[in-house]
Amino acid sequence: MIEVRGLQKVYKVHEREAGFWSSVRSLFDRKFRDVYAVDDVSFSIAPGEIVGFLGPNGAGKTTTMKVLTGLLHPTAGEVQVGGFVPHKHERAFKRRISLVMGQKSQLIWDVPASETFLVNKVIYEIDDAAYRRQLDELIELLQIAEVMQKPVRQLSLGERMKCELAASLLHKPDLLFLDEPTIGLDVNMQEVVREFIRRYNRLHKATILLTSHYMADVAALCQRVMVINRGKLLYDGEISELIERHAPYKRLKLWFDGGREALELLESTLLSCGDSGLKVIAQTEHHVELEVARQHISTVSARLLQTLAVADLTIEDPSLEDVISQAFAAGVQP
Amino acid sequence: MRQTLRLLREFLRACFVEEVEYRLNFIGHLLTTGLQLALAVFMANIFFFRADSVGGWSFYEVLLLLGVFNAIHGFIEMVLQPNMSRLVQHIRKGTLDYVLLKPVDSQLFVSFRHMVFWKIADIVLGLGLVVFALVQMGAWPTWQAIVSFFVLFSAALCLVYAIWMMLMTLSFWAVKVDNLSYLFMSFFDTARFPVSVYKGFLRLALMYLFPVGLITTLPASALTKGVSVWQLLVAGVLALAFVALTRLLWRLALRSYTSASS
Repeated sequence: MIEVRGLQKVYKVHEREAGFWSSVRSLFDRKFRDVYAVDDVSFSIAPGEIVGFLGPNGAGKTTTMKVLTGLLHPTAGEVQVGGFVPHKHERAFKRRISLVMGQKSQLIWDVPASETFLVNKVIYEIDDAAYRRQLDELIELLQIAEVMQKPVRQLSLGERMKCELAASLLHKPDLLFLDEPTIGLDVNMQEVVREFIRRYNRLHKATILLTSHYMADVAALCQRVMVINRGKLLYDGEISELIERHAPYKRLKLWFDGGREALELLESTLLSCGDSGLKVIAQTEHHVELEVARQHISTVSARLLQTLAVADLTIEDPSLEDVISQAFAAGVQP
Repeated sequence: MRQTLRLLREFLRACFVEEVEYRLNFIGHLLTTGLQLALAVFMANIFFFRADSVGGWSFYEVLLLLGVFNAIHGFIEMVLQPNMSRLVQHIRKGTLDYVLLKPVDSQLFVSFRHMVFWKIADIVLGLGLVVFALVQMGAWPTWQAIVSFFVLFSAALCLVYAIWMMLMTLSFWAVKVDNLSYLFMSFFDTARFPVSVYKGFLRLALMYLFPVGLITTLPASALTKGVSVWQLLVAGVLALAFVALTRLLWRLALRSYTSASS
């Protein structure tokens, strides 16, 4: 559905030092520097897939999205989306896509969101019956029956985001680009938006590319992630594999009945486990937190359970945030 | 073409709905327009206090021209001004992306998406003044004169739109162009009087360099002094050329936008 080969986007950035005279000088003598926002990125996305796009600010996520939607011309490389070349701006292409940006609004500010819907109905030439059907569906999925009758300026951020989504999906796009759709929303509302994206994907077999700062979004929605940094694609594959590769350990938390004896026992047990990639993260009198290599997790926990009077024991995967920051630190290769 | 008309109707409807939110605004606006028009007529009265004609135009002829001026002024305030400020916002805040992603002509969208509906009163009042002046003069124009008036009036609208649109398009490079609209309006104010009032270089400039003369004087002449086929042709061709030019400039601007912004 989406094919990207060797995509490159270079910005010419005008450089000058701060201060009055250097700004005057820059009027006559401009220095330009090439910034590689996206450099030699290739990937392909199958129909119906939801792919998470991760990376720090300025990594090239938004630039890639803009190239895929046709807002930017690529400097080099080939891009095909749904069989179209995006920057040719064909209407048939625009009818099939939608871009939702969490930080920018397309709703008319002073009137209810339903007015924006009507404008979009005419813009996308949706006939009455199809419009009614799609609107009813969106109202039901997003629970916006009352919200959409209130002037947009009186809506909460979460309500506005729901209307934003509805306005962008009236024409039933099967290619969806979501740029930070949950930014600034509280946990509840994030969950609502996430659930909506999942259902829309299932209902319309839509292909979705999603960027987010919240790992929870990506972890909940996407099986596959792409990690980008400084314009380079660092990783493209299953989330679980990313975790395995860059976090080959689990977190083991242990609560036990205290006392000096117990602590000594713990120490000797840990020593006896030897070279199982074991690392103590935190320790108090009744509690210890360990990082243990995946393949040793069962032996280590079994031995601890045998020797100590364990009150509670949990084993967790590291958070996706940790994995990503580890991946960046390691400078991963795809 | 049908889609274009449908879009324009929808834009107008949306703007109407938007403004009904602020009812008081309408009454305030109607009063302002009425007062401005009365003041303009009063000014014209003063000019004619001692003279029978100004620049070869009689009192009612000048009134008629004032009517044309008011109607075009109304068009600017109804259609052009609100969209200009939006475009500047679109570019600064990056919401132009939403416009470019819509399956519609982006120039059409940014030119006409927002209209201030009540300003239609200016246009109606202006044309009303034209009719009033005609009635006072007692000489009903021939149908040829009426047709040429509408041709020249439309050409004037196109010209005003084109000049304005080009100024708007400059905001792609300059980002803030609000001051240019003031410059335009102060030039446009010279169109309150027939070009023949102005002398020397100013007159030449207003006729050819910045064709204010074409915008009000020529349509008004169609109903009073008469115009030649030659003038009709020049105005029409010029108007079309200007509109075509905006199209080119818009394309150019978009190209630099889509290859530069982030």
